[in-house]
Amino acid sequence: MSAAVVTGAATAASRPAALPRLARRVGRTAGRTVWGSAAIVLFLAVWEFAPTFLLTPATRVFLPPLHVVLAAGWQLTLDGQLESNIAASLSRAASGFAIAVVVGVAAGLLIASYRRLDAFLSPLLELFRNTAALALLPVFTLLLGIGETSKITMVAYAAFFPILLNTIAGVRGVDPLLIRAARTLGVGRARLFAKVVLPAAVPTVFTGIRMGGAASILVLVAAEMVGAKAGLGFLIVNAQNSFLIPDMYAGILAIALIGLAVNGLLVALERRFSRWRAPAV
Amino acid sequence: MTPKISLRNVTKRFPVRSGADASAQGTLTALDDVSIDVPPGDFLALVGPSGSGKTTLLDLLAGLTEPTSGAVLVDGTPITGPGQDRGVVFQQYALFPWRTALANVTFPLENRPVGGVRLTRAQRVQRAREHLELVGLRGFEDRYPHELSGGMKQRVAIARSLAYRPDILLMDEPFGALDAQTREQLQDELLRIWRATGTTILFITHDIDEAVYLGTRVAVLSARPGRLQAVVETELPHRGHGGDIRSDPRFVRLRHEVWSLLHGGDRLVAEERAVA
Repeated sequence: MSAAVVTGAATAASRPAALPRLARRVGRTAGRTVWGSAAIVLFLAVWEFAPTFLLTPATRVFLPPLHVVLAAGWQLTLDGQLESNIAASLSRAASGFAIAVVVGVAAGLLIASYRRLDAFLSPLLELFRNTAALALLPVFTLLLGIGETSKITMVAYAAFFPILLNTIAGVRGVDPLLIRAARTLGVGRARLFAKVVLPAAVPTVFTGIRMGGAASILVLVAAEMVGAKAGLGFLIVNAQNSFLIPDMYAGILAIALIGLAVNGLLVALERRFSRWRAPAV
Repeated sequence: MTPKISLRNVTKRFPVRSGADASAQGTLTALDDVSIDVPPGDFLALVGPSGSGKTTLLDLLAGLTEPTSGAVLVDGTPITGPGQDRGVVFQQYALFPWRTALANVTFPLENRPVGGVRLTRAQRVQRAREHLELVGLRGFEDRYPHELSGGMKQRVAIARSLAYRPDILLMDEPFGALDAQTREQLQDELLRIWRATGTTILFITHDIDEAVYLGTRVAVLSARPGRLQAVVETELPHRGHGGDIRSDPRFVRLRHEVWSLLHGGDRLVAEERAVA
């Protein structure tokens, strides 16, 4: 009897407790989301209201409020300008990036496999790696013109080095114990690469690919700003020169969003290929 | 009867750089004139202090290196490299982290034909499942190594080495990185598997208790250079059948005998006494 009373009391007490617990969890998640996006919302609010209330009309021209920029972006989307420029930029970035991935991974595998090749090429690669890609922009423009070739080459050049260096590090970093184990398990020298070295290096290679992806967008926009007939970099500079300031900001906003999306995509890809790695604590 | 494993006057030297002067080349004698025979189905435990060339010996038997002089024979034939007649279990598990437990066990089956036949994918998976079950890991087939405990990882490694049914299992301090309880558990499992499969086992350890408990014979190595000091026969019939064999007087006596061999002939002990 008394036991039943106790149980009844316990359920009675726990039932109303269940609802607040769920509510609390929802509340906590919501709270984290709100707090996480608060800075962005605040930034956008400042952008929206500061020009209107704090700036003089003369300076407001150079920093139009957010809604004006968004309207300009909408207009650019409607007449197809934004899409065509994004398409131009993305196709260049993708081509250059693809070249960098293929050449960078292949060269990295070769250099990591042959000590003599490494000793021969490393000093030269070190020199080139430390030469800022943008410093070579005039050279590429002079030699390859202002067309697609020079832009794609720039992107490939900038993305090449992180991919190359990470590939080398990945191959070098393979645990020698795994190689010993594989040999005792019947893997010949010829297949060792495919069965052990390559899979072990994949996560590091993908880190390089992600870094290369970020570098390619960065460099491309700069290259387009210097000399191009299309692309987001061109859109921005052209808008500035034509005094279409809201259009300029719309272009910048588009670049920010694309950079964010590309990075998110590459991070997801990297994670997909590193699933087997112990989560870093 | 031809011994399963036979070492004949095996010496192994390595070139080393000595001290501060990096250009000065010396040689380190890791193993010095070691001869030992292991009959088929034997469980030979090899104890020695660090620097006694235990791992060098294992590398030689695994076919990963060659002796400077002498011969390493398996079934009376000199070995020419790694072969599917020998399986190796390493202390640090050496599992492929990008492969699941099951895929780690199928790994050796993908590389060479087993008993002259190349297994189909389904057969390999079947064989791997059987061996994971043999080491008590049913239900863990799809786990990645980082999702397994140390003991489980070593079980997977043992299953992987047994999957192609080698005649010889070479084990290099396989339980050295495990906690005491897991170690005892795996020792008994190993004895069970040894009895079930009839595999010849060469088990390297620095733990005297482990050597006496597991080996039908215990080979004692001395350090720098590694020399074979003695081989102690252990006749402990009830190993691995529960019961606290480790406090059996015979166990204690054998343990002391091996301990004396490791320490007694050691000049260092005499020197320490002299200093004290």
